Amino acid sequence: MNAKDEIRQFVQKLLTESGDDQPLADDESLLLSGRLQSIDAVEIVTLLEEKFGIDFAEIGFDRERLDSVDAISTLAGHGQSNRA
Amino acid sequence: MRYAVRAVGGHQGRRGMCDEEARIAETLRGHPGARDAAVFADGDIIRIFVVPDDGYLDDELGRKAASELVLQKWRKTFDLSQLAKGAESATVGLNTLGWNSSYTLQPIPEEEMREWVERSVENILSVSPCRVYEAGCGTGMLALRLAPHCERYTASDFAPAVLSRFRAQLVTLPALDGRVEILERRADDFAGLERNCFDTFLLNSVTQHFPNLSYLTKVIAGAVGVVKPGGRLLIGDIRSLQLLPVFACSVEAFQAAPETGLDELRARIRRRIERETQLVISPAYFLALRSAFPAISRVEIVPLRGRARNEMTHFRYDAILHVGAAEDDSIAMEFTDWSEAQGGLDEIRSFACSHPGQAIGIEAIRNARIAGDVRTLVSLENGAADCSVKQLREEVRTSAAQGIDPQALLDMQDEIRDCAIFLSWAACRRDGSYDAAIVPRSMLREGQRPAIDWPRPDAAEFVRIATAPGQQAVRKELEDRLTAYCVQNLPATAGRIAIELVDALPRAADVLAPGDLRIRRHHARLDGASVARPSPQG
Repeated sequence: MNAKDEIRQFVQKLLTESGDDQPLADDESLLLSGRLQSIDAVEIVTLLEEKFGIDFAEIGFDRERLDSVDAISTLAGHGQSNRA
Repeated sequence: MRYAVRAVGGHQGRRGMCDEEARIAETLRGHPGARDAAVFADGDIIRIFVVPDDGYLDDELGRKAASELVLQKWRKTFDLSQLAKGAESATVGLNTLGWNSSYTLQPIPEEEMREWVERSVENILSVSPCRVYEAGCGTGMLALRLAPHCERYTASDFAPAVLSRFRAQLVTLPALDGRVEILERRADDFAGLERNCFDTFLLNSVTQHFPNLSYLTKVIAGAVGVVKPGGRLLIGDIRSLQLLPVFACSVEAFQAAPETGLDELRARIRRRIERETQLVISPAYFLALRSAFPAISRVEIVPLRGRARNEMTHFRYDAILHVGAAEDDSIAMEFTDWSEAQGGLDEIRSFACSHPGQAIGIEAIRNARIAGDVRTLVSLENGAADCSVKQLREEVRTSAAQGIDPQALLDMQDEIRDCAIFLSWAACRRDGSYDAAIVPRSMLREGQRPAIDWPRPDAAEFVRIATAPGQQAVRKELEDRLTAYCVQNLPATAGRIAIELVDALPRAADVLAPGDLRIRRHHARLDGASVARPSPQG
């Protein structure tokens, strides 16, 4: 499973846990649309920190950068390339 | 259909009970997960209401571990907010990062946040605090304003990045040098604090992030210990459980596209309530604290002040818990029912002026702040015709505006200078209507909040006193275990029982369908519509 698939699956799980069973497109807004709450963003942050080596203390926290599967995948890609 | 009910168990009394129901209640009380139980027969179904045992939920079913996880998530959420763009350049004393509107999902405008914090500060200063302990101080929005007026100010928070931001602001204010002590700790941690060493305990806009009501009760128990007699706990900006349906309706109606159908809107409102992730609390919880904590001598429930139209002023309240026997501050007054009154401020002014020198009470004043939201919800509950959100908005917009804005009533103090006005939401009405007391200043001591015998809620309002965010799985597990236990011990009940967890046992007349959106009584009067007290099933 590539990084984007993993992220998509992770986000889908968060949505399901919050009772949201609507379809999800990769470019669809998650946080700014209210589909996920700020406390859910913590789960995504933890995933990015632990699996993709992102240091939010260094890059800052910006909801826009976590707002879709596409955006999260881009961020994860930066983390991976920094680690490579 | 109304229940043809026979109630058994707890404080329900034994009148009308039958043997089977009595056996069920007695059996369930033998399960360690059930603190108390009431049983209601409804045709072939036996409805069982159980007050769960907190210790069992925490330890046996893992709620404590889940609560710890929730606290960790919130800590990280708050810390992350201080890693956002603009955190470093935020106005000193007004770092509102993370304060987003439920309506627009965008940051709440700074001028609204400024009014919110300044009103909170005014309220707190009105009781002349001297030695203050604040839990959940955040970046110090209150502390930076209050500390100059206090002899001692101890502020605590559990989020280290948030406290760093607080400290960074503090060093820019030399006047506060050495006056504020900052502790990094959770709200329920009172270790090392002497008993009776503060006169004021503050917990502002924090309770919604607590994992459950037990945690809040633990915090209150600790706070009561460190506040000296004559002091008070000021718990502010609490989301109201009674107004949760109106709030959900307000947000969903705002966000819905004009062409959205009303059935879809109803479904979204239900989903919003069911998915609530925060602890939303009834004023009834605070009113009931007096029986658990004898040191709490009096409880006030006050709707938030402010002219801004936002979710704080519309749907939140402050709870003031007075500690220890105070001087005799009681002021007697008659309450006049205002729920049918058509008039506005002028009528109240005339009413007050017609009782010179007397303290007067006014009961069930319609709340203009949320009158439109209440009307929208009542229309939906009454099964409004299958039209669109656009048509519903038009219907609500063109109906006569009713009620009085609580802040407008408070502002009348500037006109009637010899009187002070106090407001209360203690009655827990689900349409947000409120009670007021107009008291001649000659009856008050300086800075006194008089003890008023405010209208109280129906017993029904104590049945469910808070949401249980993130506890669906744990509560379902307990319901399943109780069902299995009941069937195992009383096989004849198999397939006939329905168990529901509650905060206090209901009376027969209080039994409502779970998750019911409907609001009762005063809505009917408010709209002149025929909204009967809802029956459990229909």
